[in-house]
Amino acid sequence: MNGPTRRLAVVVFLGFAVLVAASSWFQVFGAERYRSDPRNARATISRTEKERGLIVAGDGTVLARSDPLPDTAQAFTRRYPGGAAYAAAVGYSTFLVGDAGLEAAYADELRSRRDLTISDLLAALFGRDLRPRNVQTTLQPIVQQSAYSALAGQTGAVVALDPKTGAVLGYVTSPSFDPNTLLGTDAVDVRQTLLDDPDGPLLDRAGRELFPPGSTFKAIVTAAALDIGVADPETDFPNTLTYDLPGSDADIANAGGGLCGSGETVTLQTAFVRSCNTVFADLAVQVGAAAIGATAGEVGFGRQLEFPWNLAVSRFPVRDLQADPAALAQSGIGERNVRVTPLTMAMVAAAIANGGDVMAPRIVAQVFDADGNTVDASQPHLLGQAMTPATAAVISQLMERVVTEGTGTRATVPGVRVAGKTGTAEGAHGPDAWFIGFAPVDDPVIAIAVLVTGGGSAGESASGGSVAAPIAAQVLDAWLSGSEGSAG
Amino acid sequence: MSRNAEAALIVATAVLAAFGATLVNFAIGGSVDAQVGLTFVVVLTAFGSVHLAVRRFAPDASTSLLPSIALVTVFGLVEIYRINPVRAGLQRWWLLIGASVAILVLAWLARVGTESLRRYRNITLVGAISLLVLPLLPSDWPVPLRGLTVNGSRLWIELDLGLVRLNFQPGEIAKIAFVIFLAGYLADRRVALIEAKRRIGRLAVPEPRQLLPLLIVWGGTLGVLVGQRDLGASLLLFTVFVSMLYAATGQSGYLTGGLFLTVVGGVGSWQLFDHVQRRITAWIRPLSDFEDAGFQVAQGMFGLGTGSIAGSGPGLGRPDLIPNAITDFIFAAVGEEFGFAGSVSVLATYALIVAIGFGIALRSRDRFRKLLATGLTMTFGIQTFLIIGGVLRVVPLTGITLPFMSYGGSSIVGNFILVALLLRISHEEAGE
Repeated sequence: MNGPTRRLAVVVFLGFAVLVAASSWFQVFGAERYRSDPRNARATISRTEKERGLIVAGDGTVLARSDPLPDTAQAFTRRYPGGAAYAAAVGYSTFLVGDAGLEAAYADELRSRRDLTISDLLAALFGRDLRPRNVQTTLQPIVQQSAYSALAGQTGAVVALDPKTGAVLGYVTSPSFDPNTLLGTDAVDVRQTLLDDPDGPLLDRAGRELFPPGSTFKAIVTAAALDIGVADPETDFPNTLTYDLPGSDADIANAGGGLCGSGETVTLQTAFVRSCNTVFADLAVQVGAAAIGATAGEVGFGRQLEFPWNLAVSRFPVRDLQADPAALAQSGIGERNVRVTPLTMAMVAAAIANGGDVMAPRIVAQVFDADGNTVDASQPHLLGQAMTPATAAVISQLMERVVTEGTGTRATVPGVRVAGKTGTAEGAHGPDAWFIGFAPVDDPVIAIAVLVTGGGSAGESASGGSVAAPIAAQVLDAWLSGSEGSAG
Repeated sequence: MSRNAEAALIVATAVLAAFGATLVNFAIGGSVDAQVGLTFVVVLTAFGSVHLAVRRFAPDASTSLLPSIALVTVFGLVEIYRINPVRAGLQRWWLLIGASVAILVLAWLARVGTESLRRYRNITLVGAISLLVLPLLPSDWPVPLRGLTVNGSRLWIELDLGLVRLNFQPGEIAKIAFVIFLAGYLADRRVALIEAKRRIGRLAVPEPRQLLPLLIVWGGTLGVLVGQRDLGASLLLFTVFVSMLYAATGQSGYLTGGLFLTVVGGVGSWQLFDHVQRRITAWIRPLSDFEDAGFQVAQGMFGLGTGSIAGSGPGLGRPDLIPNAITDFIFAAVGEEFGFAGSVSVLATYALIVAIGFGIALRSRDRFRKLLATGLTMTFGIQTFLIIGGVLRVVPLTGITLPFMSYGGSSIVGNFILVALLLRISHEEAGE
């Protein structure tokens, strides 16, 4: 009578075989269907369920945090209290449209280690902290906020550095967007709207877009000229209406079309203060592409700098320009073949402020654990030497005169010695107005580059002196008075 | 396999339990804590003490059954701990209680033998029916033993002891009593069932006189269960009933008739009951009825799919998104966190348990013990198939527990009794 029992056993085992087959469908062959079903909250949640670490500013202001969401499947939501002003630097961590900025670059530090790999779990066995770590940036809210409000929605960027340490005090692009809007379920649509926006709110104009530097580039040409002894501040140049481009019928005129002063000749320092194109086109050809390129290279031109994200590489193509004096002359006044990021130009200003030493830009001060202990602190380090201290001192004087009596008077900050250089380049959509500078001149604590593209609210009549310099003045004033205030 | 090997395997499962609890702790940022220790101690104590009881009361019993049971228990316990640590604490108590009951059963059977079960089968039947009807007690009367409606099914009784309220599903015990009765009845009446036949067309059926008690039992049991709206238990009991009839008589007509009655009952209850209709909808197209009836099944599928081959790892998935993840859907929870690998391990272990059970039945020479072992094994196997099949959409979802893995005291206690009976049968058969 074992036959029936045996047959029952066979039926049950067949049933179990069907279960194994069904399980293989749901978990192996058809798994992707269920895993990626939009109603499967797991994919969404895996990004948000675990607390991420904080991103804080240099003064401790919280720029990104995880807020617990009680009573929902999604345990945490990211919040960006700094909003649009910090969007380019802090970035975002979303579950629908990916990561950006520091959130992306430091994702591994910011994530909770209460997940993922066996090695993490083994490390925990030996007492490692699995809580998320936190990132402190070098950004200063005073600089950041004043820069963002001074740009006032105009297209452009402001980058401010501590010239002695390379710490990025401000990294602002405009127009920007509020990363908090990318956290919801409509994030894909929001992002598409931002992408379609002709003003390009998602573009990082501070470090990931290139622009012609205009006359601010004359600081580099001057530094190269002084370093190799081609000229000194008192060297006379012919004062002409135009500079005839070598090997070409075209010529270069000064901004406004006039002469650079009254005499037959004009000294280099006067030309610098008045930003005369004819003189600097001439000077660039005299100095030569190699020497200018060497100076520029020290400031980071042509190099991918170490930074949390891939910066656009500023360029001064030495080899091309050696073969083409006309292009070299044009490049000498920051047009034609020269392209820079505002970050690079802030580094130029910082190098002059720091006796020629170029400090590598750092936007992260430290990574610290949940107990506040530093896990990893970034140290200031020298990127290169752009010019001798003597040259830096001379250019510093020239730049101070730009602000006191030259094209940059609107960068004046009452009670502070400000040095600067203006620039107005022929941008893609109208004049790109530049100002680079630093303050205070005797002991610089902040170097800055301001860019307003397409003329900003001033339109075609915009110049670096009229549009960019006032923004620099506001930021310098805010930081210098703010830091004095906090020091007092 | 020797008894000592069995002991070693039980220790190994306790270590696995502790390891699983540790992984869950790590996943949520904790470390080795008291919970890990408790998990280890409880698994070791529960199965270790049953093992010692077997050494004393049923020394010739199968050695492979307990470790296999312990293994699925550990899978369930770790997953419950991961989803709801408080319930895991209760489950640990239930494991100890279930083990104690198993030991009592083993000790008692060592004195009286399984043969006494056969003798008292009619008392068992009364017991089974009383247990089944218990939940129909009023839920608001002053007696501290009350019926309880949970999720639309009237399956629970609540014992109000003033300080503590104990909830229990008497059906879990009743099904074993029912199997004992059937085994006894069929063993005694086998000859009559086979030989006294009438022919209705081509189908040979036993004398109505012989069949009547069975039909009454079937109808009554089904009536009570349908009244309590418990689809799973009805299906389980009926399937076991038909299989035991078939095992006893070897007449495939019972299977055909059983299948026919199942279809009739299924269609009938589908027409009669909303909750059955909802279950069928959820079974056939859970994703298009996602917001309503299909939600649970769909969440289970999402969990299984996300778990994929290797699983998220214990504590790292989101089985808590699945409704009833620690009871009906414990298999989906294990599948999500342990992956296809875990699912197959669980299925293989259950298949092993069923194989051991059938092995005991096939080796039995005594008719009653053979039928009892067959019935108990079928109960265990069909229940496992129905609930895992419900999660995997092989059959409509029925709200029954996965033996030894689902959270729930009555299920644990009932299945410990079932295992104790199987162990005792294997001992008696080996000893004779």
